[in-house]
Amino acid sequence: MLGIFMFLFMLSLCTFVCSWEVIQFGLFFVSFLSLLFIYRFSGFNCFSLMLGGDLLSYSLFGLSCWICSLMLMASYKVYKNNNEKVKFSFLVVLSLVFLFLSFCCLDLLFFYVSFESVLIPTLLMIIGWGGQPERLQAGIYMLFYTLCASLPFLVGIFSLYGCEGSAVFYYLELKGVSMGWFWFFVFVVAFLVKLPMFLFHLWLPKAHVEAPIAGSMVLAGVLLKLGGYGLFRVLWLFQSFVKSQGGWLVSVGLIGGLFTSFICMRQVDLKSLIAYSSVGHMGIVLGGVMTLSSWGCGGALLLMVAHGLCSSALFCLANVVYERFFSRSLVLLSGMMSVFPSLALWWFLFCVFNMAAPPSMNLFGEISLMVSLVGWSEWTVVCLGMLSFFSAYYSLFMFSSTQHGKSWAVFCIEGVNFREFLLLLLHLVPLNLLILNLDLWLYWF
Amino acid sequence: MFWSVYGLWALFLLLMFVMFFSFSLFFIFSDFAVFVEYYLFSMNGCPVEFMMVFDWVSLMFLSFVMLISSVVIFYSEEYMEGDENLNRFCYLVLLFVLSMGLLILSPNLISILLGWDGLGLVSYCLVIYYQNNRSLNAGMITVLSNRIGDVGILIGIVWMLNFGNWNYFSYVLLEDMGSEFYWVGGCVVLAALTKSAQIPFSAWLPAAMAAPTPVSALVHSSTLVTAGVYLLIRLSQYFSVGVFSCVLMFISCMTMFMSGLGANYEMDMKKVIALSTLSQLGVMMLSISFGYWKLAYFHMLTHALFKALLFLCAGSVIHSSGGAQDLRYMGGMIEFSPVVGSCFNLANLSLCGIPFLAGFYSKDLILENVSFFNFNFFIFIFFSVSIGLTACYSFRLFFYIMGRNFFMFFSNFGEGSIVSVSIIFLSFWAVIMGSTLMWILFPIPCFVFVPIFYSVMGVLCVIVGLWMGLILWGVSGSYLFLTGKSVNHFLGLMWFLPWLSSNPLLSKLSLGGYFLSSDLSWGEWMGPQGVFEGMVIGSSIFQWFQDNNLKMYLVSFAIWVIIFTFLMLML
Repeated sequence: MLGIFMFLFMLSLCTFVCSWEVIQFGLFFVSFLSLLFIYRFSGFNCFSLMLGGDLLSYSLFGLSCWICSLMLMASYKVYKNNNEKVKFSFLVVLSLVFLFLSFCCLDLLFFYVSFESVLIPTLLMIIGWGGQPERLQAGIYMLFYTLCASLPFLVGIFSLYGCEGSAVFYYLELKGVSMGWFWFFVFVVAFLVKLPMFLFHLWLPKAHVEAPIAGSMVLAGVLLKLGGYGLFRVLWLFQSFVKSQGGWLVSVGLIGGLFTSFICMRQVDLKSLIAYSSVGHMGIVLGGVMTLSSWGCGGALLLMVAHGLCSSALFCLANVVYERFFSRSLVLLSGMMSVFPSLALWWFLFCVFNMAAPPSMNLFGEISLMVSLVGWSEWTVVCLGMLSFFSAYYSLFMFSSTQHGKSWAVFCIEGVNFREFLLLLLHLVPLNLLILNLDLWLYWF
Repeated sequence: MFWSVYGLWALFLLLMFVMFFSFSLFFIFSDFAVFVEYYLFSMNGCPVEFMMVFDWVSLMFLSFVMLISSVVIFYSEEYMEGDENLNRFCYLVLLFVLSMGLLILSPNLISILLGWDGLGLVSYCLVIYYQNNRSLNAGMITVLSNRIGDVGILIGIVWMLNFGNWNYFSYVLLEDMGSEFYWVGGCVVLAALTKSAQIPFSAWLPAAMAAPTPVSALVHSSTLVTAGVYLLIRLSQYFSVGVFSCVLMFISCMTMFMSGLGANYEMDMKKVIALSTLSQLGVMMLSISFGYWKLAYFHMLTHALFKALLFLCAGSVIHSSGGAQDLRYMGGMIEFSPVVGSCFNLANLSLCGIPFLAGFYSKDLILENVSFFNFNFFIFIFFSVSIGLTACYSFRLFFYIMGRNFFMFFSNFGEGSIVSVSIIFLSFWAVIMGSTLMWILFPIPCFVFVPIFYSVMGVLCVIVGLWMGLILWGVSGSYLFLTGKSVNHFLGLMWFLPWLSSNPLLSKLSLGGYFLSSDLSWGEWMGPQGVFEGMVIGSSIFQWFQDNNLKMYLVSFAIWVIIFTFLMLML
């Protein structure tokens, strides 16, 4: 583990001397290295200096390495225009370093420090390389939403130290924690904002839309999962409170997901539609996590990984169109199937994977989460059915608005590059092939 | 012509038909079945596996799907000529056949979902193939109606976890399973109803005729819509009892009747054929609700053949009339396309149930069995009337297109060679398969003991229907009774079902706008902007205190003096 950390740190320093291609190679190298730690048993392993993790950590770390490698591949415009590409690649690798530290650390305070530090490269990416003047407000929203929720979390960690004497995960899991219900909410709200739960979700559409493609990919792909990861770690310590108070959060998660599906049906901004659909999916994840069942926790990890890949791919597709037409509006973009026929296949695939169509991992994640939620209470069937139906509606609405019909793009534009197709293929391949090995993800606890 | 991508795939699918059909014959006579299982994972004792079952039911249906799709792909080489996206069309059709195969071969509700979802989505892609608004609307209503069924299957999967296993052959007696299993059954029945376009989900089938005709021939006549019927056939031991049987019986009867009525009024040729498909699906569902799954299966197979044939002939007619699908633009086609016309006639008569054609064996058998186990006079009357209506609109279709006087404006007469060859090939199978399937599926014939009136009821209804068709449609001036009376609106517009099924969803869209605006207004006010305003107000108050106002200074001095005095007094 320490070796990986040293490699990543060195890579981040290398961004100042090496070229873009070498950094890209280094990131892919790290993502293959991360696969070495994925074993099929639960429990923490690979201990080193306060670094280590279990299957949950390593799968999310693998996801973040993969997404960071693809981020560099997607940000070709920064490279071509030489738009401070050294600083940009440094930010990408730095965010990967902090993500690694968040996912693979064993101590709650260490986790808090790296959890907060991830915000800094993301904020710099949004403000430095985003497109519109609204990115300033987007950055402020993201920063303050997260900070307002996680500063009480810091106080909670200190009181945990005071209560138990240690904040190391594996020790606390075994020992159990006896703190009040107030601390439960303090610990949980920090991650509910990150996840995001419906009532705390306003930062997400703004940040996702105003970020450059790399920022959107890391936000949708990994940072939301950071909230889920923190929620897993913290809930394990407060199991009795989850059993008694968890119902509130499940309800907000599910109904919030339903509300955001309604919002998605009326969106005109393409990236905003994808962002709101993330809220819906994470709402189901929240519901499944709060049941603390085997199907729920396994399915939540499954859906988190699958959603990370799928949303990131949808943002890449939106960026392909944005780089050529400089518009994200569904009103303006139509008939892409006539202009980019090969890309229409990728649009269709990722739109239907977003709505959990087989044979993607999203389907199995959703089935597992639905199983756990319906086992928790039969009445969630109503909400889950409506969620599945409306997610189909807005995904196909997105597909048909952008692809079908008459296109106004009769002037000469650049065709779709091989690099962009490779980017989409690299999103698709893990999403579809990992179905054959689902038990890897489902047994992490 | 065999070297194109179409020809090669058509040949491949034809070989698959031969292979699967022979395997199915072998399996049915030696009572053999093969299960292939790919074990994905098992969680808490529930195995999730991708399973394929090869028994005679699935193999025979699969062989028929292969036959029809091979003919359709061969046909679409000439039909879709000149289109830029020919390759995409071919691969979409093949993907559709793959999804259908996955559905047919799965005994496991999760692997059925793989084929089921695939069917819905690929049929969406096929319906929106033409880039106009009508196709888009049709595709949307198709996929959303099918999505309701997908949600039903998802909920069914979730409930079925309760019992530990998703294979339907593991559950034998419904009564032993407890009341929870009725939920699973209900969800599966809902899924089958949406896929097979029964009431109240019938709006999508006529609308989906916006697809190209080969797509209609494959998808909307034989494969997609029969997927629901096939699902119920597989799980049939649960649906011949109690509440499921009654609900299915009523719904299928009403669907049968409604679509028979609607087909008599409809002016678009493909919509008439779509409504006739809907009527026959009602017959299949009715038969399942009685418990005669084998008869429903038989009717499904024969219906697939002659309905696909009907669509292919309609496609040739559309080509000849320069793209017009409206019946009022046609007439006298028999002069210019005799081969297509005779195959069209064959398919129509088979649909009516004329003795010894394919439809007769299946439909008449169902009618005889319905009258043998005389459940309900209402059902019997509606079934007989529907058979009469079938004959009526079949005559109408034939007369409007092929009969009448010559009425053509366009000069694209004649029939293409590839189109004719594929139609003749399929009509050969349509003629043969009726009796052949009867001998294969029922080695010991069905025994029915009814009075002579009920046994000739089928033929009697057909004759009466044909006579009614002749009176209503066969004479000139027959438009007269289509005046704007409300009963004509009601019967012709499918009992206003399309309006009923689309309007509730449309009103939900405005709900989305309401949530979005409240998200941007109240959400902001409760969250960031409200806090921001509060902080601005608060900090302006604090800032006022720091203005070094003399009055503030003196007031605070006075307050401190008062406080100090009180303290002094108390101490």
